[in-house]
Amino acid sequence: MRRWLLPLGPALVLLGLFMVGPILWSVYIAFTNETLTGSASVDSQFIGTANFVRMFGDENFLNSFLLTFVFVIGSAVIGQNTLGLIIALLQRGRSRTTRGVVNGVVIGAWVMPEVVAALCWFSFLSEDGTLNTVLGLEQEWLYTAPMLAVVLANVWRGTAFSMLVYSAALSEVPRDLTEAAAVDGAGARQRLVHVTLPLIRRSILANLMLITLQTLASFGLIYTLTGGGPGNASQTTPLYMYEQAFKYFEIGYGSAIALVLLVIGALFSLVYLRLIRVEE
Amino acid sequence: MKRVLIASLLLLTACSSTEQPSTTGVKELEVLYKVEPTWPHLEKMLQNAKKQYEAAHPGVTIKLTPVQGNNEVYYTKLALLNRSADSAPDLYYHDTFQVNADVAAGKLSPLDDYLAKWPDWQAQYADSVKQAAKGGDDKIYGVPISTDTRGLWYHKDVLAKAGIQVPWEPKTWNDVLTAARAIKQKVPGAIPFTMYSTKIHGEASTMQGFEMLLYGTPGGTLYDETRKKWLTGSKGFTDSLTFVNTVYREELGPKLADAHNAKLGDKVTLEWFPKGELGIALDGAWMSAAWRPTAPKPWPEWQDKIGWTRMPTQNGEAPGAVSMSGGWVMAMSSYTTFKQEAFDFITTATNKDNTLLYSVGTGDLTPRKDVAEDPSYTKDNPTIKFWTDLASVTHYRPAFEEYPKVSNQIQEAMEAVTTGAQSPEEAARTYAERLPSAVGGPDKVAATG
Repeated sequence: MRRWLLPLGPALVLLGLFMVGPILWSVYIAFTNETLTGSASVDSQFIGTANFVRMFGDENFLNSFLLTFVFVIGSAVIGQNTLGLIIALLQRGRSRTTRGVVNGVVIGAWVMPEVVAALCWFSFLSEDGTLNTVLGLEQEWLYTAPMLAVVLANVWRGTAFSMLVYSAALSEVPRDLTEAAAVDGAGARQRLVHVTLPLIRRSILANLMLITLQTLASFGLIYTLTGGGPGNASQTTPLYMYEQAFKYFEIGYGSAIALVLLVIGALFSLVYLRLIRVEE
Repeated sequence: MKRVLIASLLLLTACSSTEQPSTTGVKELEVLYKVEPTWPHLEKMLQNAKKQYEAAHPGVTIKLTPVQGNNEVYYTKLALLNRSADSAPDLYYHDTFQVNADVAAGKLSPLDDYLAKWPDWQAQYADSVKQAAKGGDDKIYGVPISTDTRGLWYHKDVLAKAGIQVPWEPKTWNDVLTAARAIKQKVPGAIPFTMYSTKIHGEASTMQGFEMLLYGTPGGTLYDETRKKWLTGSKGFTDSLTFVNTVYREELGPKLADAHNAKLGDKVTLEWFPKGELGIALDGAWMSAAWRPTAPKPWPEWQDKIGWTRMPTQNGEAPGAVSMSGGWVMAMSSYTTFKQEAFDFITTATNKDNTLLYSVGTGDLTPRKDVAEDPSYTKDNPTIKFWTDLASVTHYRPAFEEYPKVSNQIQEAMEAVTTGAQSPEEAARTYAERLPSAVGGPDKVAATG
């Protein structure tokens, strides 16, 4: 036992200091009225569940919650997941060049830093941006359809991940099974629904879980693209949390929101893990 | 196992304790300030001050730490650095409305003892100016770098095209709206009127926007000094929101996407006014500094094209006009070890040379008497006297610890009427509902009429 502790020790200490410590601290301050400055910052009080009571009566929080739901379902569960699967399916059996080009383009969006991706979309959608120039319109997309903009941007950026997961999963599907189904007279659609998808179902669930968690916590993309606005029309929960904690200096309330977000993420994971286990 | 963990811990502490300031015997003072590409003035002033100070104080170095970004970004960065004595800067540029919250948090050092020994404090600063960074405990927590007043800027050609007589002197809010309506009708392509009214502009929306209206309504104020309570439900409050609502519902303002653009200020000064695409702007005394020859984007013709006038009270009530004043100070952290040295840097940064350099650059009004009398202060800026004279009608924000939180609620209300999400009455009601938790309890709030 000591033998493995020696190399592991420093890592454990670092994890404890920089991860477990801050997490415990933020759990603690979620139950206080801690602020970044002002008298409450030197004399913060333990206020029990008051932050949580406040949260569920806070229209802006509930609004952010709904938007987060739309964002996760729209951009991850439907957008990235389906598009990634379609691209992976279409790539089967294509020439090396085609695959190389498609992979390059899709992964290119993924390796781009979040802020750069957001700026690309900003210059694409802004009033004097590429889209309006090409279409000859004067539409203020980021103002009139902020949620659609951030959902599309996130689909564009994140599809590569799902595509890679599904490409790997599909390569594991034994060809003789699909061929046998074809011989038995199953069409392409039937082969997909009754042979391929059931065989990769565990990859689907694992992929869904990962992209849901990633998208739930997404901050930089939306912050750079719309800042949560106009008003709070695209202010998902992470952005609302940032506003409360670092703009309005209510770090206690902000941490409480973070905690709720954590619980929601954990619930999602539990559901997915449960489904995977049921499968097994 | 325990031994291993302890050993790793020791290793860690050994790594982290290499950074000690005393190794060279040089004292270092860190100064935090903000800078933007279109706003290099403070940086220039501090670099100059650093040179002067280091020449006069061998053994002390000044470390200038810039924060890139607008005021809102700066407030956040400063608050986070101030969380710990290790990361807190020794000295910082500070917005006066934030001072009392930091005093309550024990982050600022009172300067009274040092100020008493500094001759300039008595000789160069008027009593009203000295109050700029006064804490609730009546101590002084910062030396003013700048002060300001607010009013209306207008484009003479745009107004003339709309058939409005120039020089223009509106007497009521209605005069302002009438002028805006005339511009909308007769000058296609020009934005009639602009003001800050969304959350992204932060305190500028509250102060340049809302308070410029509210403090011009009969009895309009956020805080009742005699009862010591924050006020809700006044007619002036709803009327002020109604003004904002009128601007956007009648499309007298900028497009909503621009109203939400963080760079709205730059659009107004660098784009719309020079191109003659804007009629009237409710803004601060400093605006014309963006056009002077030394500015990043000079506009030599501005003195012929641009006029400036007082913001009227709602129905022309005495004294006929309204203005709001704030400003920035140099403040000293309570965590700094070298207090006398730090104070000496404040006096260098705010000496005549540096204050002049700053005021001429930013277009802010100077707090120092000797700068005000200097010919180069007024040379390129014919507006200075006008803005300085607004001091007779100006108001100050209720600079209590809770004020920044009240300001946030005002921004929420303004943004709600800007987008049309709420009517002025609804927004005022929401403000009344949320105010108690912002100021720390229903006992600190009173309803008016």
